[in-house]
Amino acid sequence: MNKIEAKNVDVYYGAKQALFDINMDIEANKVTALIGPSGCGKSTFLRCLNRMNDVIDICKVSGVVKINDYDINQKDTDVVRLREKVGMIFQKPNPFPKTIYENISYGPEIHGVAQSKSEMDNIVEESLRKAALWEEVKDRIHEPGTGLSGGQQQRLCIARTISIKPEIILMDEPCSALDPIATAQIEELIDELRKEHTIIIVTHSMSQAARVSQNTGFFHLGKLIEVGSTDKIFKNPTQQQTQDYITGRFG
Amino acid sequence: MNKEERLIKRYKAEKRFQFYGKAAIFMALLFLVVFLTKIFSTGYTAFQKTWLVIPVNYNADLLYLDPDKKPTTEDINDADFYEFGIETFITLDPDASEDQIMELKKMFAFTFERELKYYLLDNPDSFGKTVDVKLTASDDLDQVFKGNYPRDIPENRRRASDYQLKIFDKLNEDGRVISEFNASFFTNADSREAELAGIASSFMGSLFSILVCLSIAFPVALLAAVYLEEFAPKNRFTDFIEVNINNLAAVPSIVFGLLGLGVLLAVFGLPRSTPLVGGITLSLMTLPTIIIAARASLKAVPPSIREAALAMGASKMQTTMHHTVPLALPGTLSGTIIGLAQALGETAPLILIGMVAFVNTIPGTPMDPAASLPVQIYIWAESAERGFVEKVSACIMVLLFFLIFMNLGAQLIRHKFEKKWN
Repeated sequence: MNKIEAKNVDVYYGAKQALFDINMDIEANKVTALIGPSGCGKSTFLRCLNRMNDVIDICKVSGVVKINDYDINQKDTDVVRLREKVGMIFQKPNPFPKTIYENISYGPEIHGVAQSKSEMDNIVEESLRKAALWEEVKDRIHEPGTGLSGGQQQRLCIARTISIKPEIILMDEPCSALDPIATAQIEELIDELRKEHTIIIVTHSMSQAARVSQNTGFFHLGKLIEVGSTDKIFKNPTQQQTQDYITGRFG
Repeated sequence: MNKEERLIKRYKAEKRFQFYGKAAIFMALLFLVVFLTKIFSTGYTAFQKTWLVIPVNYNADLLYLDPDKKPTTEDINDADFYEFGIETFITLDPDASEDQIMELKKMFAFTFERELKYYLLDNPDSFGKTVDVKLTASDDLDQVFKGNYPRDIPENRRRASDYQLKIFDKLNEDGRVISEFNASFFTNADSREAELAGIASSFMGSLFSILVCLSIAFPVALLAAVYLEEFAPKNRFTDFIEVNINNLAAVPSIVFGLLGLGVLLAVFGLPRSTPLVGGITLSLMTLPTIIIAARASLKAVPPSIREAALAMGASKMQTTMHHTVPLALPGTLSGTIIGLAQALGETAPLILIGMVAFVNTIPGTPMDPAASLPVQIYIWAESAERGFVEKVSACIMVLLFFLIFMNLGAQLIRHKFEKKWN
């Protein structure tokens, strides 16, 4: 069964239409990459999946987005519970200006996951281990998270997100602010996380999409041009536009 | 013009520009130095007080007390120290005429009765003996001694007579005129007599006003700012509110005073001349300042922090209370202190709500009548006596220290709690 099904999704920023009739299915426990030139709407689509577009006053979303067969675009959808299930990693690492520990304990705390201090300690350690950060920070988890390097901060954000065990993790160009080594670490991590989470990653780098994803969707000018297995998109695309983008003729 | 000349011209223009900048700073500093020098040179003498040490014979007969019995506290309290004081002053010049006796009396502050009485209460052993007692000199002699009052003008144009000066000089030769730290300036309330006037009432009045102002303005302003910035939809109505808040910040303070007079005193019937009413009036004035500072600080919190919290499944209110507001608090607090410092120096609205009344008691609560420091400056500056001139400057100094203290606090809060994000 598909984890996410998007049907006829249109997004408007005021009078400007940003997404046109997007229909896309996303498989569970796979990495789906969304690629396309800047301004093509891939990030906008990503933000439809956890209703982060609600934050933008002028943004209007229509259509159906089903997660586990439940339409999240209903009026009475509880966005707090939705975002508990659908975590998000942003382009720029955005740890809270608090300690590493507090960064990770925040989610379990507001959702009432941990019953005791020791349970919370376990969650923090487990999350940091899963984000491959534990060994680097275990001696200073009570120091500010903002003191870490860029790559460490991004992994901290990933640890923060997985602390509440979301089913889906959305990643909005998670490596665009990082150096190649940090990028490699994150990519490795993504592959690891796929076992327990469904991952959708927006990326500018086609090589990254090819490396980390099993499925790929290509966006252009607000339309989903083509979607399929990464292998097929990169080696044998059906659309001319996809072909042109993949081979670097535009974008 | 060739390239070389053009370059030289550009360097010269830059040098000139830097010079203008330095000149501007120099001028600002010069004004400040002149201002401070003037205030300090006029005011520092107010922190000294002149005393006359005179021999006092606590003779039982003069006090109409029983010489064979040690007087009780009650006896001393009931005794008449006015006549006793006059008799004591006569000992300074046994040949004094009736008029001269009055002049002798006027060499001392009118509190001499109390001072003589308290000395005996504190030193009951002095009963029946002759001891040296420190009495507050009148403000005229105080000013003469401090050199603020010329002695060489004709007698009919000065307040200290030749006779008083003669006695005073004799006392001075005997080392009986002493100058000490003027503690009563800080512990006394206002007085019509310059030598006794102090700032305790106005200081407490200012303190209470500021506390009332803070406890009203800060929570209201913070809530208003948080709602406007984080929750309110951006539409015509909120734009209208924003414009009006900015207008409110520009309203002359005296208008708020009229509001306080018309609404707080007339409609609600709150007690006149009290820091409570003063504080509420000032809080109206401070409110827009804090709202503007708080909104600016909230705006400065990067949206990425809000997104991070929202994406973690925090509700809007959790996002605001756990992340946005704590990060905006240092800026809000320093804005608040600046607003309070403004309120502290405010005079006009307080005059309108009656805090200009002569108050010679120290207020214990915000419901008691009080003056405030800037109003005290105004009251003293209006007074005719020479002795108030230095008091005005001294009071300004206290106010300035209060302000510096608050601004330092604002800086400290900013540095201590400012969190860095990227």
